[in-house]
Amino acid sequence: MIQFSSVTKRYPGGHEALRGVTLEIAAGEMIAVTGHSGAGKSTLLKLAAGIERASTGTVVVNGQNLGALGETALAILRRRVGFIFQDHKLLYDRSCHDNVALPLRIAGVAREEVGKRVRAALDKVGLLDRERAMPVALSGGEQQRLCIARAIVNRPSVLIADEPTGNLDAEYARAIVDLFVSFNQVGVTVLLSTHDEASIARLGCRRVSLQSGAVVA
Amino acid sequence: MTWLRLHLHAFVEALRRLLAQPLGSALSVLVLAIAIALPVVAAIALRSVGAATAHLDTDPHVNVYLALDASDEDVKRVGTALRNHPEAAAVRFIPREQAMAELKSTTHLAEILAALDRNPLPHAYTVRVRTTETARITALREEWSKLPKVEQVLADFEWSERLGRWVRFGDRALAATWLLLGAAVAFIVAHLIRLQVLTHREEIEVSQLVGATAADVRRPFLYHGLLQGLFAGAVAVAAAAALAGWAGYELRALTPSYATELKVVFLPLMETMAVVLTAAALGFLGAWSAVSRELRHFARRA
Repeated sequence: MIQFSSVTKRYPGGHEALRGVTLEIAAGEMIAVTGHSGAGKSTLLKLAAGIERASTGTVVVNGQNLGALGETALAILRRRVGFIFQDHKLLYDRSCHDNVALPLRIAGVAREEVGKRVRAALDKVGLLDRERAMPVALSGGEQQRLCIARAIVNRPSVLIADEPTGNLDAEYARAIVDLFVSFNQVGVTVLLSTHDEASIARLGCRRVSLQSGAVVA
Repeated sequence: MTWLRLHLHAFVEALRRLLAQPLGSALSVLVLAIAIALPVVAAIALRSVGAATAHLDTDPHVNVYLALDASDEDVKRVGTALRNHPEAAAVRFIPREQAMAELKSTTHLAEILAALDRNPLPHAYTVRVRTTETARITALREEWSKLPKVEQVLADFEWSERLGRWVRFGDRALAATWLLLGAAVAFIVAHLIRLQVLTHREEIEVSQLVGATAADVRRPFLYHGLLQGLFAGAVAVAAAAALAGWAGYELRALTPSYATELKVVFLPLMETMAVVLTAAALGFLGAWSAVSRELRHFARRA
């Protein structure tokens, strides 16, 4: 599903976030990426989602070499990958419904269909009763779930989450982890980063450890 | 269907953005409308002058006046000579009686003329010549003054040449005005859209993260620019029409004092539509350049 071959990511200014990473994630697999902050977890996830491009090496998602794709094709690919951002990236000037509807509107989905799918996604994360609320009125954990709803509304085959349990108390974190487990059980490939040992244990999946941009285990 | 829906969404979004800041949008449209209205008013003015002078024959004419004692035979002979001349495009005979009648009817000299015991005016020929060159016309004058019983040959062409130059000058000044103010419209829209892009920076960033292409991001801004141009063009044409009506009222009142009918001539429908559509196109272009430039900035930041 996702293959990294000797991938290096160098940011302007010379900082190397990833060095020669080779990694294969099978379809339907769930993987937890761990490591200290600054180890390159976020960079790895962004490369897998087509949000950033590798400096050298190749990233292949669903049989497509992302390095060979143009900007438009890359944007289209991002629609098929659900991404949960560490900083949520919600739009605070519109309701929960409109935030979740954004990917569907971009894809040009019909209005009736948009309403149905948005409510299904909100229901899945337990926010159906907050459809008309503004994101600022939500707690941190609810905002995280809203972000998950937006990621799954396009029914992606891959879900990528950057520290989805960071800053959450243990109970909330467990609920979020269970949510990802349930997605994985219905066949979605899940790739998430975390530094929370309790969450990794609960996920019960393969783990990839990063240190200074390289895979150590 | 998806394509149509995307455009409909972008269009509605553009309208929503325009209506979200009604005062700001109205002022922007007004600024653009003023810029567009200036050349429209100038064009109307030029057209009106053109219409007022259209019946003035600006082709060069040569007037051949015969001696007062010329006989009917002499008149015929001169007429034949002029008509057979290769440079003469048209020859019109003005008998002395007709000249007198015209003078009485078009001037206020009737009383003085009536006091005269005989008609002081000669028979005359008005010849429209094919050439406009000063040297050629001078030569014709020389040649025709040598015809028997021809008293005087007058060629009054300098004023027509000057009028022609003024008209061409007006056309060029108008073209330059169109060009400058058209560019101004594009630049103003580009600036307004750039501000819009900055206002929507967060939305653009998030949209791109969840799969919006450059075209998806650009679309509502292009409609926004297009609509601004379209509204501004419509307001400009309406304002120019109102101005023309207002000024035209005074002008019509002046008509009886002059020999010619004075009136304001508005642009024909096709040209009016062309003005509005051009304004919309300029808005579109301005928006395109602004969004493309800002999107490049985003790409660099990412």
